[in-house]
Amino acid sequence: MKEINIIIGGPQGSGIETSMSILSRAFTRKGYGIIASREYFSNIVGRHSYIVMRVSSEKLPQSIDLPVQIIAASDAETVFTHFDEIRGGGALIYDINNEKKKLNEVPSMENITKQRIRRKLESKGLDQAVSSIIEYLRKEEGIKPIGIDFASILSELSKKFKLDPGHLSRYVSTILVSSISTVIGLEDDYLLFGITSHFKNRENILKHNLALYEMVSERLHSMKEILPLDTPKLKIEKMMVLTGNDAVAIGKIVGGARYQAYYPITPAADESTTLEKYGHGTEGNQDIGPIVILQTEDEISAISSTIGAALTGARSSTATSGPGFDLMVEALSWAGANEVPIVITYYQRGGPSTGQPTRGSQSDLMNAIFSSHGEFARIVISSGDHEEAILDAAEAFNLAEKFQVPVIHLLDKFLANTTASVKIPDIEKIRIERGSIFRNGGEYRRFDASNSISPRAFIGDDGIVIWYSGDEHDEIGHIVEDPENRIKMYEKRMKKLELIRKEVPLNEKLKVYGFEDPEFIIIGWGSTKGVAVEALESAAKEVGVRGAYVNLKMLWPFPSEELKEIVGKISEKKIIVAEHSYEANIARLMAMEAGLNVGGKIVKYTGRPFFLSEFYRALKSILFDNEEKVVLTLGA
Amino acid sequence: MEHELNYRTDLWIDWCPGCGNFGILAAVTRAMKDLRLDPSKTVVVSGIGCSGKIPHYINVNGVHTLHGRAIPFATGIKIANPDLTILVHGGDGDLLGIGAGHFVALGRRNLDIVVMLHNNGVYGLTKGQASPTLPLNSKTKGLNLPNIQGSVNPIALALASGYTFVARGYAFDGNHLSELIKKAIQHRGAAFIDILQPCVTFNDIYTADFYRKAIYKLEGEEGWDPVVREPAETEEKILRAMRKAMEWGEKIPIGIFYENPAITTFEDRLSDILRGSYPKKSPSKSVIEKDGKSIFNAEIFEELFKDFIIEVKG
Repeated sequence: MKEINIIIGGPQGSGIETSMSILSRAFTRKGYGIIASREYFSNIVGRHSYIVMRVSSEKLPQSIDLPVQIIAASDAETVFTHFDEIRGGGALIYDINNEKKKLNEVPSMENITKQRIRRKLESKGLDQAVSSIIEYLRKEEGIKPIGIDFASILSELSKKFKLDPGHLSRYVSTILVSSISTVIGLEDDYLLFGITSHFKNRENILKHNLALYEMVSERLHSMKEILPLDTPKLKIEKMMVLTGNDAVAIGKIVGGARYQAYYPITPAADESTTLEKYGHGTEGNQDIGPIVILQTEDEISAISSTIGAALTGARSSTATSGPGFDLMVEALSWAGANEVPIVITYYQRGGPSTGQPTRGSQSDLMNAIFSSHGEFARIVISSGDHEEAILDAAEAFNLAEKFQVPVIHLLDKFLANTTASVKIPDIEKIRIERGSIFRNGGEYRRFDASNSISPRAFIGDDGIVIWYSGDEHDEIGHIVEDPENRIKMYEKRMKKLELIRKEVPLNEKLKVYGFEDPEFIIIGWGSTKGVAVEALESAAKEVGVRGAYVNLKMLWPFPSEELKEIVGKISEKKIIVAEHSYEANIARLMAMEAGLNVGGKIVKYTGRPFFLSEFYRALKSILFDNEEKVVLTLGA
Repeated sequence: MEHELNYRTDLWIDWCPGCGNFGILAAVTRAMKDLRLDPSKTVVVSGIGCSGKIPHYINVNGVHTLHGRAIPFATGIKIANPDLTILVHGGDGDLLGIGAGHFVALGRRNLDIVVMLHNNGVYGLTKGQASPTLPLNSKTKGLNLPNIQGSVNPIALALASGYTFVARGYAFDGNHLSELIKKAIQHRGAAFIDILQPCVTFNDIYTADFYRKAIYKLEGEEGWDPVVREPAETEEKILRAMRKAMEWGEKIPIGIFYENPAITTFEDRLSDILRGSYPKKSPSKSVIEKDGKSIFNAEIFEELFKDFIIEVKG
């Protein structure tokens, strides 16, 4: 096979993330391209959690897909939840101790989900035991069942190393990855590399895991390479394997962030953890940072202290998701009024309210652009993938400081919790532009209105005294309510939007992928990019239609003229938008800002990612069956 | 020849005639003058309301922020540039109502900031509603009905939150107040001064007359020593301060309730976890670019992020 898709599932807390990390590293080591998305409940231990991974011998995959060829299930719930997501001669790796488990014996599954799965089983005439599902998959789908006795392997391990029986569940993830690697025929060295690089510095655990791998591959000797994967042809010598949260943290470090305040919230908190770990250089390299990370008492404090730090000249940022951002909005307005360069990294998740804290969405576009009282200039940018996220996280500070506005970097849970192998970004390309800085002595006026952008001095600069106020102020920063001053200062601030439109280069506003003379165009933003670009490739290859994807990178100020130029010749019917939301808000923004109407919408609001096959089917039904809106629902 | 007016801007002050804030402004600028604070290295951070306007009247850096948020703004400023002297001014609604969470958090951090509470029992600028320090059943003249919410005890809350300098002053005892402010500035750590501030327009209970009769000075008490000189004394000194914090009405103590110089400041804690590169290379002072480029090159990048980088061995 050129590619393989895998689901790894089990209860939250059973090492699902560890499995993802080990496998990603093992496959990358051999030169495969990987992408893996993580689904989990808002829960610490016990609820169903799973990974959908795609491994390619030919490319760096940009989206995940269903059905898969391998399911590795550490519990019965995984088999019940995903049995209809595996097809066509793959392998189901499971624990034989779960064979007799029945659907109603799975306490961690929601009743509604049980009923849904019961209906599915009944429609196929199956009774509700794992064993009958396995039998069905073997007969109807040609799936090879690979039953492993987890308990006996673990007790053998426990005897060998005198392990505490209470700790044995920690080793389940290694049974899963060892089995997967055996079935695919990944040579020992690669998985051992994965295990070693994941558990480095934890000598004992490493020793146990290596022994465990030996045991599993020995027991599965007869299953070796039953699903062989082609030798990789990527020709990349070094790759990075990281999550979207990691990508942003790395971008911030390289981009000169020096202060980040945050309040813990899913799916943003991991970014701050990575920043904290790498934000002050290595022992041998004290030139980096330090970045001060402050965990605050709430999101209001996070953004307020971020603004405070920015006033002293430090590149400052915060990271949050929808509910936290809502709390930040008053201070965002203060930053707008006082022309403070700050960066807010905003990872969208399912709303409204607490909504789906651990699932994804792109339903906060309007919130990012229009929240906050009063009118002021802001910039909203988004990133299509990990590589973009690194560069954009650094560039966000340049934009903030050049135009002296708050910048919102709008991302989502899909990117945050997706692990991907990417090329190492070209660091030499990253510029640091601090904008206009006051250097000429004399009387300082922070809000000098002779220009939309006033030279910045920093609180603490020798011999300079600066005033800031959220109230309307004069050039010095003192409160003034005079109408003439109001006009002058209001216009000074608002004119930045024109300046931003004029000065930000095209490739930071939008990027076009696919054919240069397209018959149809998909328009989207953020993490929609990968699946849309790959769906275009499928459309060209399979049905011979030429499409292009417009990845909108700057969402505010909206690049109306540039977008109009691109879609100019395409008929309205052939303009399609894709977004994780109910309303496809990007279409509204296009209508509002560019007077553009769209012919088709591909949306999804289950909180689960777009899968390539469903996205491609939706695209075809819009292009060929005159569908106007396709709502996608794939994924458990 | 330095003069107090050096620390005053020439803006017209729009507080009501007779407002306690005039006393606070005079005491603060006098303390600044006595300590010869460099205006460019000093920052007054305020919230919203009558007290919120004070930065505009003082000739040092001024940041007039949002209602309740002066402390978090000040926290970011101080952490990013620890060389600065930072004075937070807030009202009782500001610091103990909408901003109460931030007030508590500053104590936990023991960051080297001075917080001055303009405590007048009312929300003046919105016409005299009850503030978090107005006692239950009080009926000041701005209220239709007696206050049905209880009050919070600022001194007790500061002690419980971890402030390492806790004092109370009176707006119209300028000499005493400016001495307290100087000590608070010189203290390393989070300092809090509860300043009793008559609101001539809306608070007809806590008037200058009322305070003149009730106030007495702690330093005049036989054997009063608020300073923790040995770690073992900490609990006892806090308990004593708490007992004094409960006095209100007939007799109201002013002065220093508690002072503990031995608790590590937030700056010290940062220095520890950042292996000494802080405060030398504080966020506002450390280098982030070389000729318009990131200080990273491919080599430094790959060294720092080696955990994420995998060499392909196909």
